[in-house]
Amino acid sequence: MQPSMTHSVPRQPGWLRAFGLMTLVLFAVGTVLALIVSPPDVNQGDLIRIMYAHVSVVWVGFLAVLMAAVFGMLYLWRSKPVDDVWAVASAEMALVYFALAVFGGMTYSKPTLGVFWDWDARLTLTALAFALLVGYFVVRGLIDDPQQRARVSAVVSIIILASLPFNWMASEWFRSIHPSKSFDVTGGGINDTMAPIFRWILLFNVLVAALIFVYFLLERVRIGRAELKLETEDAAPAAGEVIRV
Amino acid sequence: MTDLLYITTLARKDFLQELRSKAATVATIFFASTVLLILAFALGPSQAALTNAAPGVLWVALAFAGIISAAQSYQNELEEGAFEQLLMYPIPRATIFLGKLLANWLYMTVLGALLLPTTALFFKMDLSNWPWLVLTILFGTLGFALIATFYAALTSNLRARESLLPVLMFPVVVPIMLAAVRATGELTRSGNLGWAFDWLQLLIGFDLVYLVVCTALFHFVTES
Repeated sequence: MQPSMTHSVPRQPGWLRAFGLMTLVLFAVGTVLALIVSPPDVNQGDLIRIMYAHVSVVWVGFLAVLMAAVFGMLYLWRSKPVDDVWAVASAEMALVYFALAVFGGMTYSKPTLGVFWDWDARLTLTALAFALLVGYFVVRGLIDDPQQRARVSAVVSIIILASLPFNWMASEWFRSIHPSKSFDVTGGGINDTMAPIFRWILLFNVLVAALIFVYFLLERVRIGRAELKLETEDAAPAAGEVIRV
Repeated sequence: MTDLLYITTLARKDFLQELRSKAATVATIFFASTVLLILAFALGPSQAALTNAAPGVLWVALAFAGIISAAQSYQNELEEGAFEQLLMYPIPRATIFLGKLLANWLYMTVLGALLLPTTALFFKMDLSNWPWLVLTILFGTLGFALIATFYAALTSNLRARESLLPVLMFPVVVPIMLAAVRATGELTRSGNLGWAFDWLQLLIGFDLVYLVVCTALFHFVTES
């Protein structure tokens, strides 16, 4: 049998490269905004700057989990391998973002609250979501058959999405003496009591985090699609090729 | 309602099988007793410490038991190749899930009924609100059995399934464990029924949502 040709990674298309560069520039702008332009907070001083990196990453992380579940549902519905590529790309980004979120949260917690971990509701929810995503990738690593792997991953991602509201409720009520009848989903004062300058810089950094997510998602999907093409090409030799025994 | 008949038949089969083989029963009773003993030694003999820890001890023991029984419920069939035959019957896949769920749930509630007085004795729990405690155990074990039965099916033909099941389950059952422990605590310590009802509502909500979600997704888990 003819040995297969070595395949190189296809070149990144121009528009994606431009999008990546633009995102990098915006990231630099966001960093400058957060570190220099933003005034120090009345209560927390310069520590408020951690908030820009932490909150933006958390919000986009949850968006990534949502997208992984949506693509999982899409795969279960129409069984197209490319849906699984989108799902795993979103999940990978979610994993990275949640790891950053937990790390950022602990970094934020030590100087402001004095301890690295104090069972704060939002940070507990983030840590649980991270644990769920680790489980997602452990399961993926144990299944060799692509269709079964895609199907089982899709199911796990849907369960992950379903568990987030309950984990949120549990984390919120864990700290209080008793569960409250209504719960506050705005993140506790971020939208209410922040001065406008903080809010604008935060929203800009959230946008930057989202753009970084989109860029890496598109790049990962591009590579995943190339891998899919490779699998189907290797499985069926090109027409006219003679197989020598 | 032939679906109901399928479910109860499957549940009876699993339950009878477990009664006769006692494979999971021995392991779970041993685990539960070990948990109770070690925690009693660690926290006692101070009355206050024991009473405070009692709800947690009860649910830790129940959780261990639930995981073991759920994993076992698929093992027997897989080893004999009977699971594929079960899947080939012309019954909805969901009934297979609900049948196994019913068996696991029944098993956990029986264990709960045994563990509650034992824990109450060793850890000085106040059982005056016992009807509500029974409800808490029923809904808490249902939620746990839901996730355990579902994930056990998912991991049943994977390598390292024994260690994978708790890894996958733990973040999902955190709300159930928290609500169950807190409800038990409210019912046996402060006697504040209002707060216990709030936790029970979380339990019931969890059970309903996952009953629907897991039943709907079970079909995809068992495709090969």
